[in-house]
Amino acid sequence: MSEPIIRVRGLAKQYPRFALRDVTFEVGEGRVLGLIGPNGAGKSTLLRILMGLVRPDAGEATVLGWPMPASERAVKLRTGFVSEDMALYGAATLRWHMDLVRAMYPDWDELRARDLTARFGLDPAQRVRDLSRGQQVKALLLLATARHAELLLLDEPTAGLDPLARNDLLTLLTESRGERRGAIFSSHIGADVAALADDVAFLFEGRIVAYGPVAEFVEGGRTLERAFLDHAARTRDGRAA
Amino acid sequence: MRGPLVAYLVAAAAALALALAGGSAARTAGVTLAINVLIGASFHVVLGPVLGERERKTLAFVMTLPVTVVDVTVAKLASAFLLFVGPAVLAAAATTVALPSLTTILGSTAGAGPSWTLLAGWVGYGSVAIGAWMLFFAAVLGTALVTESVGWTIGVLTGSVVVVGNIVLQVLPVLPGASAYIRSIAQRGPALSATIGIEVVGLAAVVALIVGLQRRKTSFV
Repeated sequence: MSEPIIRVRGLAKQYPRFALRDVTFEVGEGRVLGLIGPNGAGKSTLLRILMGLVRPDAGEATVLGWPMPASERAVKLRTGFVSEDMALYGAATLRWHMDLVRAMYPDWDELRARDLTARFGLDPAQRVRDLSRGQQVKALLLLATARHAELLLLDEPTAGLDPLARNDLLTLLTESRGERRGAIFSSHIGADVAALADDVAFLFEGRIVAYGPVAEFVEGGRTLERAFLDHAARTRDGRAA
Repeated sequence: MRGPLVAYLVAAAAALALALAGGSAARTAGVTLAINVLIGASFHVVLGPVLGERERKTLAFVMTLPVTVVDVTVAKLASAFLLFVGPAVLAAAATTVALPSLTTILGSTAGAGPSWTLLAGWVGYGSVAIGAWMLFFAAVLGTALVTESVGWTIGVLTGSVVVVGNIVLQVLPVLPGASAYIRSIAQRGPALSATIGIEVVGLAAVVALIVGLQRRKTSFV
């Protein structure tokens, strides 16, 4: 059995009004993990910790065999990350950003970048500040997915996308799945998780309350949203009792 | 940054020209303009690339690239100093040549000798002044990088201008013993190498402190 590409043990992060607590899970080689949870559940915090944008207060995280954040350069070189926490430089063009990313990543694929530019309807010569919010999200996705990254970490990747762009992204992620060693993405949309993910983790109030193959949670025609609500209710009841 | 940088260079050159033009009014105007260039250029250089990066969310984008916080800090320090050094050298030169007390001391040192002795004195003291302004800029830049606060940065900026601009360049030349010190600098004596050595060590210490404090940050979003 191969080593998991992501291993997380007892991860914790404390904020004034929120805490990520004792998060433990693994993502196997070739697997896609979907994170489902309400706003403030800790999905973004978890992805930020895996990418080195936030240092945890406790616990360990190993990404692609490297401990984080000690080996953040090696992990970032092999990982594509998109989040609403990020923005591009408004005064620069999309082409400038593409050239920057190409210079820093040996796995940049210019042909794929051009294909994605056309698919997303973007003009590389346009300044970022002249792009709509949705177009800026597409630009970030382009920069992350025009590389042959080993791992993708996507925080609500379809948020802010029009239906056509959302469909394009889901198709792209499905088509390019074989190139990667794995992915984690968070979403409010159960259908997206069900379409792309092999496994799902439900985050509620900073903890993982359920984890397993998607198929187990959607047995009998149940939706992932329904499954999450059931687990969240059980967690609340368990605390109340 | 290109437009403002060109403007600061032109203004600093104008300050130097005024300082060299002779006459009390021209020298005063030159020094005033030079000080304003130093303040404006230092704040402008940190304002765009440093302050507000977190709010604009471009810091998060940069930190997802294959870099560490030390890489980003060193790059910002190097680029900021490169942007600042051009206007700073010209403006510091303007403040040096415009000081009447300094000219008197250096003139008496040169005596009846060749005018290049006077020039060497200005170059020596100018080097010391430039070093002092670099330390000032390092303090402002470091405050901006570490605190990411406009308020703190302005506070350190104005405080540093009082210290460097007034005490070092206005008060120091007229203190007892200053004449001997300035003569030693003009004659490339031990005071010159000692002062520049102290400034270099001071600059290295400030840079090390900035990098050390940056490494302690736990969030880039």
